[in-house]
Amino acid sequence: MTATDEFGHLDTPLEASNSPALKFEVFAKCSTTKARASKMHLPHYTAHTPIFMPVGTMGSIKGITTKQLEALDCHVILGNTYHLGSRPGPELLEKAGGLHKFMAWNRGLLTDSGGFQMVSLLKLANITEEGVEFENPHDGQKMMLTPEMSIGLQNAIGADIMMQLDDVVSSLTTGPRVEEAMWRSVRWLDRSIKAHKRPTEQNLFPIVQGGLDIELRTKSAQELVKRDSPGYAIGGLSGGEAKGSFWRMVSLSTDILPTNKPRYCMGVGYAEDLVVCSALGVDMYDCVFPTRTARFGNALVRTGSMSLKQGRYSADLEPIDRDCDCSTCANYTRAYLHTTATKETTGCHLITIHNIAFQMRLMLDIRKAIVEDRYPAFIREFMRIRFGKTVPMWIVDALKSVNVDLTVPDSSGYLAEPVADDFQKVPNAWTEPN
Amino acid sequence: MALRFELANIATSSTVVPRRGKLVLDRSATGGDSSAERPATVLETPTFFKYTRHGLQPHLVPEVAAELDALPMATRVQAEDFLESDTPDCVKFGDGLHKFIALDPADILLLDTLDPTITVRVAKSTNTYMSIDSEGGTRRLTPGLFAQLTNSLRPDIIIPPADIVEEPLPSLTQGKRISKSVARSAKWLEECMAALTHPAAVFAPVVGSHSLELRTMSAKALAARHDIAGYVFNDVCLTVPLEHKLRLVNHSLRILDASKPRYMLGASAPDAVLLAVLSGIDLFDSSYPYAVTEQGLASTYVLDQDNSANVLPHCLDMWQETMFADFGPLVDGCTCFTCRSHHRSYIHHLLKTKEMLATVLLQIHNTHWYQRFFADIRRSMERGSLAADAALFMQKYDCETQLSGGIGELNRLANRPFSELSTLSAQTCSPTTKIQRKRHAEPQVVTL
Repeated sequence: MTATDEFGHLDTPLEASNSPALKFEVFAKCSTTKARASKMHLPHYTAHTPIFMPVGTMGSIKGITTKQLEALDCHVILGNTYHLGSRPGPELLEKAGGLHKFMAWNRGLLTDSGGFQMVSLLKLANITEEGVEFENPHDGQKMMLTPEMSIGLQNAIGADIMMQLDDVVSSLTTGPRVEEAMWRSVRWLDRSIKAHKRPTEQNLFPIVQGGLDIELRTKSAQELVKRDSPGYAIGGLSGGEAKGSFWRMVSLSTDILPTNKPRYCMGVGYAEDLVVCSALGVDMYDCVFPTRTARFGNALVRTGSMSLKQGRYSADLEPIDRDCDCSTCANYTRAYLHTTATKETTGCHLITIHNIAFQMRLMLDIRKAIVEDRYPAFIREFMRIRFGKTVPMWIVDALKSVNVDLTVPDSSGYLAEPVADDFQKVPNAWTEPN
Repeated sequence: MALRFELANIATSSTVVPRRGKLVLDRSATGGDSSAERPATVLETPTFFKYTRHGLQPHLVPEVAAELDALPMATRVQAEDFLESDTPDCVKFGDGLHKFIALDPADILLLDTLDPTITVRVAKSTNTYMSIDSEGGTRRLTPGLFAQLTNSLRPDIIIPPADIVEEPLPSLTQGKRISKSVARSAKWLEECMAALTHPAAVFAPVVGSHSLELRTMSAKALAARHDIAGYVFNDVCLTVPLEHKLRLVNHSLRILDASKPRYMLGASAPDAVLLAVLSGIDLFDSSYPYAVTEQGLASTYVLDQDNSANVLPHCLDMWQETMFADFGPLVDGCTCFTCRSHHRSYIHHLLKTKEMLATVLLQIHNTHWYQRFFADIRRSMERGSLAADAALFMQKYDCETQLSGGIGELNRLANRPFSELSTLSAQTCSPTTKIQRKRHAEPQVVTL
């Protein structure tokens, strides 16, 4: 099965880069924003970007078979190095011939470095120049994760794209610690590149750090670009920082990173963030949100999130979304999902399928709009449906920076009034379509 | 009614013997013009209804269940899954239960009252309603409400509510409790059938618990009725030892109309199926593969004609460390989706990490295996060798088969290798489902 080809007649890339294990071809650029639509040829699959990558922490996406993931048109999925490194462990994964074979997935895989889990899951993680020292949660022993070990684990897992171990600091941290972490991440990148044993089969992506400091982030991006990596990630964000800082850091990074290589914004998955960041020139995203929220009975729709456990859906014979072509929407009513959500594993699977389909369709729509050079109109339509008249300030600002001004009415007469909410505005509650 | 049952060996009349048959549902006779051309659904019996929870086979959404071919075109659903209140809003079911749960319109859909895998129930029934434990408290399922549900859900077969005596010890169920249950069940059946507007075939519960006298009374009353399409044995709860259960069932069978299909609940484990088929039971349900999956086990039992081959255990414990680096399929040569796509090591890993895909993949294999087992039973019957094959099976897997044994034998049954009860017990937590553990009985040794 091949991916839906939204690139149509486009066969000559506008820009390209060719690394041993990754060929990136930009086929379309938005004439207004920084958005672009590209093909990323990986050892196992050709992914179309902008892409959303669902997270399969332990080598499976919550109850969904790899055959279903293919049918959902997922191109790349994520595995977590920290989790896979402890169970089933690198020796077994090597014996199995890598994670692709272990889980029977023939498309793209990306693994993180394990560093984020060290900091987010483990107490008492102590970061030194050598690596991240942490207490093994199973036996309380002091252990160390170094850049070399992270790459060793990721080489055993064998994903198409690996991430460098970086010195993660909370995006809320300020002061000299941010600069120290930024420079240390660069040094760890060099150690990672040296430790990487399979450069013709796997790609190593560095991570732009520097907190919310313009100078540090600029310096970080410039240093990484010197290493001529196959692609770059933008890290250290989505950690509770002000959205106004978030988008500025993303935009700053994409301005420095080479235009002929993929840019990956880590941990981003809300629909509005995907639409905005794509306008800022980001190509890849991952987030646990769509699959996690499904397990709590929440279905994603263009207006926001539908909490199917609510009594209002108990006799509602509509599908989650009439326009969705996923198998859940083809077969089941909200009333049915209301009875089974959070009770049966199948209830969870049905909503997970829908949510993955939702993310995949959103990304396909984004790519189509870029290819047809109508991305600004797409953005306006998206924001109108999602937020109505009042759009969060950060979105209005971010889009204005790429020449889409939501405060000026378009041909349909839609214009947005910025809300000075810095935090994520709750999107429109679902209302019955007329 | 368009449901008919055809027995291959009619000559056997009322005796308690294994029977091959066909359960045929012809929808063209009842429906309007749209259904006129729909081919009849034919089930080769003995067979099973697919066990479901909230209308879906456990862990399997339709597109995954579609990986299982050759499953019987028969599904059972219990009303309690959809009973959020004493007065459910039936509008929610729209165009009937088939549509609501996205079931193949050709499937024969049976609506029962209670989930057969729940072995301990707290709420007691009264004269007017069957009590159902739900998350939101006790729900009252009256015969009238069940008829109302039937009229909106439009299943093909229904099992009306009966007053089931949930008591494994005969000594505690003498006298009034059982006679009350027989009288109530008869009354509820009348009330339910009187309120039906949808022409579902009625499979009536045969009751009487441990009392042979009262079993005779219940069976005689049902045998005299022509508006009953089949019989159900659901009053012999899971905690009663199988041999004892079968003795009670056989007593009723001798009285009932032998031309009608018989469905027995709580007998879905392979050894129980064999013994029940030998007694003349036609219909079962797939609660066993579900029970096995919940424990992280993969079925490997085989009904064959000789024991010369290596005797393998009847199942694989996928939790075992020996599975860690085992890159073979669950069963060599198995054609199920799981065995074609994945190896033991991956499934072991998924179990260990509590990933929901573990139970999805195990449920596919275990259900495929169960369907294969029934196909083997039917073939064995055609060869006329079921009794011998079953005996060999019991011997191979070390099952107690004291069908005619004394009452003292019963306490050994807690060690049955296939016990559905022990697989549904709360001793081992389900790998991925948040099972309500309090609703499951601990397996107990019954001493009489």
